[in-house]
Amino acid sequence: MPPRKPSDPQMLESVYSVIALFFMLVACVEFCDAATVVDVYRLIQYDISGFPFGSRLAALNHHAGSLHFPPGSDLSRTVLIIPFRDLNISFVKEYISQRQPLGGLLFLLPQMFSFANKDDKGSSHRDRGQELMKNAMAELEQLLIHANIPYPVYFAFEDNDIEAVLADIKRNDATGQPATATTGGYKLVIPVPEPKKIASPTITNIQGWLQGLKTDGDNQLPTIAIVASYDTFGAAPALSVGSDSNGSGVVALLEIARLFSLLYSNPKTRARYNILFGLTSGGPYNYNGTHKWLRSFDQRFRESIDYAICLNSIGSWNNELWIHVSKPPENAYIKQIFEGFSNVAEELSLKVGLKHKKINISNPRVAWEHEQFSRLRVTAATLSELSVAPELLESTGGLVDSRNFVNDTAIIRSVKLVSESLARHIYGYEGKNIEIFADNSSLGVNPFYIRSWLEFLSRTPRVAPFLSKNDPFVMALKKELEEHTDKVSVQHEVLDGIFTFYDSSRAKLNVYQVASVTFDLLLLLVLGSYLIVLFSFLVITTRGLDDLISLFRRPPSRKEEVCDLLLLERVLSRCTRKFLLRMRILPYMIPGKFLEGKCNVSVYAMEFFNRSSKRG
Amino acid sequence: MTVFHFFNCAILTFGPHAVYYSATPLSEYDTLGTSVKAALVYLGTALVKLVCLATFLKVSETDSFDPYQELLKALIGFIDVAGLYFALTQLTHRNISQNHKFQAVGLGWAFADSVLHRLAPLWVGARGLEFTWDYILQGLEANANLVLSISLAALGSLMWLRKNKPKTLIPIIYACAGIVATMPSITSYLRRGLGWHFPKVVGFELFTSLLNSRLNTRQSHLKSTPHKKQLQKVKWGVHELGASENMVGLTYNGAALSFYGLAFHNRLVTNLSSPCKHISGN
Repeated sequence: MPPRKPSDPQMLESVYSVIALFFMLVACVEFCDAATVVDVYRLIQYDISGFPFGSRLAALNHHAGSLHFPPGSDLSRTVLIIPFRDLNISFVKEYISQRQPLGGLLFLLPQMFSFANKDDKGSSHRDRGQELMKNAMAELEQLLIHANIPYPVYFAFEDNDIEAVLADIKRNDATGQPATATTGGYKLVIPVPEPKKIASPTITNIQGWLQGLKTDGDNQLPTIAIVASYDTFGAAPALSVGSDSNGSGVVALLEIARLFSLLYSNPKTRARYNILFGLTSGGPYNYNGTHKWLRSFDQRFRESIDYAICLNSIGSWNNELWIHVSKPPENAYIKQIFEGFSNVAEELSLKVGLKHKKINISNPRVAWEHEQFSRLRVTAATLSELSVAPELLESTGGLVDSRNFVNDTAIIRSVKLVSESLARHIYGYEGKNIEIFADNSSLGVNPFYIRSWLEFLSRTPRVAPFLSKNDPFVMALKKELEEHTDKVSVQHEVLDGIFTFYDSSRAKLNVYQVASVTFDLLLLLVLGSYLIVLFSFLVITTRGLDDLISLFRRPPSRKEEVCDLLLLERVLSRCTRKFLLRMRILPYMIPGKFLEGKCNVSVYAMEFFNRSSKRG
Repeated sequence: MTVFHFFNCAILTFGPHAVYYSATPLSEYDTLGTSVKAALVYLGTALVKLVCLATFLKVSETDSFDPYQELLKALIGFIDVAGLYFALTQLTHRNISQNHKFQAVGLGWAFADSVLHRLAPLWVGARGLEFTWDYILQGLEANANLVLSISLAALGSLMWLRKNKPKTLIPIIYACAGIVATMPSITSYLRRGLGWHFPKVVGFELFTSLLNSRLNTRQSHLKSTPHKKQLQKVKWGVHELGASENMVGLTYNGAALSFYGLAFHNRLVTNLSSPCKHISGN
């Protein structure tokens, strides 16, 4: 054996570090191969003036449970999976308001609300069940938005995989044992980092002009503005497509722009009014975008705006629309606008009502878009199917607002209403019985255009803080407006400070079926006994039972060895010279066998002594 | 407890090899070198097989059973036999008896097979959170493979190392050797042609491995020992070629029959998806 080198401690250290690294590698558990992977969408997380709302956590790593959990069990490390059909809103309300500890919530929405769902779109038939579901969902959405929930809340769509998982969980729960680490079951894992604040969320306003015909002597033509806000807000920002609020308004605006661009392309049919089209953002947040957009115009221009029509939710009405104003109805301008609309409405056999709501300058709440105009002394009105002003963050295009609740014909009729009344005003045909945008004419409203834009908007979630500066959707709107109007410009602003948003709106949920710790321990026990049995069998069959027993017998200690050797010495000293000779050889032979533990020295010694005495 | 599960499956897959080595007289006579050499020969054989398969085989799109391809795979499988021949006859072993030589070679062969085929899937798969029965079944397959390898090595030593072979038994030996050598093709036929599930296939492997070992032990008794030693064989603790195999075969027999019965009655197949139900239901 070569002598030990002095660099051995260093080598040992490196060996230890390698071993440590190996153990670290072994211990890192892989998350890649789950049985089921589902797309999930997180509840929105935001602050208003520092007050937190929504779900405050994003990462999830708990066992799954269903609503059939045994009462009184501890759910602080369980995620409740609640399919929408079994939803009991009072239960959820109680859980959230009492701030009971929970690992997480997962709501399963019916496939009907999925915008990726390809079948049965556009059907306007609403049965009783759908209505009830819609109302329940709206209520749930409002509850979740205005609550401060300290655990993750996610939405997912029902599909076969997760239905099977849920059925299994329900069966397990029915046996009365809640799922914990020792009893096995399903584990839901969403490995995302902690949500961060979105720094300076941008809101983007797009405007386009149709220049009127300027004759000599006119220095500034009057302008009429048509405005619609395009962004949404909902419980799940990745699902807030807002087909009605305000997808319908955007589609109507685009169609009106197209119709008037046809008229304005020919100088002979160009009116002596400018038309300004505005697609604003920041609608749910007190029409912040509209406010900033208007402020960017100078006072002279604002005075030249004759009036502005704001479009808001015109996609699911039957035969009544409302015009909301903030100036009193006795005002001459308001009267003029309302009469124009009513005349056209009569011809189209629909009803238009007038609603007046006073604005309060000191109150920061802006319920309608026209109020932002009114605050800057511009005459404006909002055309909408809603009869009362929505509260903050209500009717802003959330979960309920999906494509199948929007009616194409309603939008077509609204477009006709607005464009006819507008055209009669700018061409001076008020009160005259003339239809400019007749159906099936070259100026008729194009239902295919409306349908295709509505489909596009119903697939695009549009929560403003989550839209980047040059988001493809915003660019698409800009491009479309450029086709119909000229002098299109885009204005980027930062959303006002009272609203703060947090990112992480969609994730992938991994569902793992885990075996309990008991199972692993049992398996270890079984395997250990199997190996021990195998070992015993092999030893018995190949080396004999004695060997098996000898494995467990304590080998004789050094002290016993010494004692036996001393005994041997004493025995040897009593023998004759002949046997001494023999004995001298013997001590060399005996220790070898003795160390093997195979013979007892004292027995050998006694035997030789007897033999020697016999031959003596 | 995922590393725990990995550890469990690892000791199921590799434990029996270590146990076999330490329990039988192989450890006393320090035949580790032989086993290591046999493992290296297996590695070489596997590489040669890989090259041949890559050269001669078409990659089939579907998972169906193509007789021509399977025949080709079986032929290439005989390279295995050639490798075993090389390990048994050509390598220089220290003075260890024939009895121990084939056991050591078979052990080294089976260990290399387990490591090459089963260690990587185990490492990657068993450490995840998701629980499947696959790795436990794989471990059982490794056990069957161990017995099969040792039988094959025994047959090999009978064929090539024994000088005195009774004429009547030669065809039986060669038949058995042929069956064992083509075991991989048989299992792939079962899996693809007949559509058996994994547990059934594993059960079948275990079953045949014992049958094989029993046949081998019987043959080796008839061939190697004169009459009086045969009588001695019945007693415990006889260091004969056949006795150890017999006992090992018996233990596996019991295990495999019960396992096979379970698999056949499809109980295991339906319970594949919910092992935890058993535990939580207890």
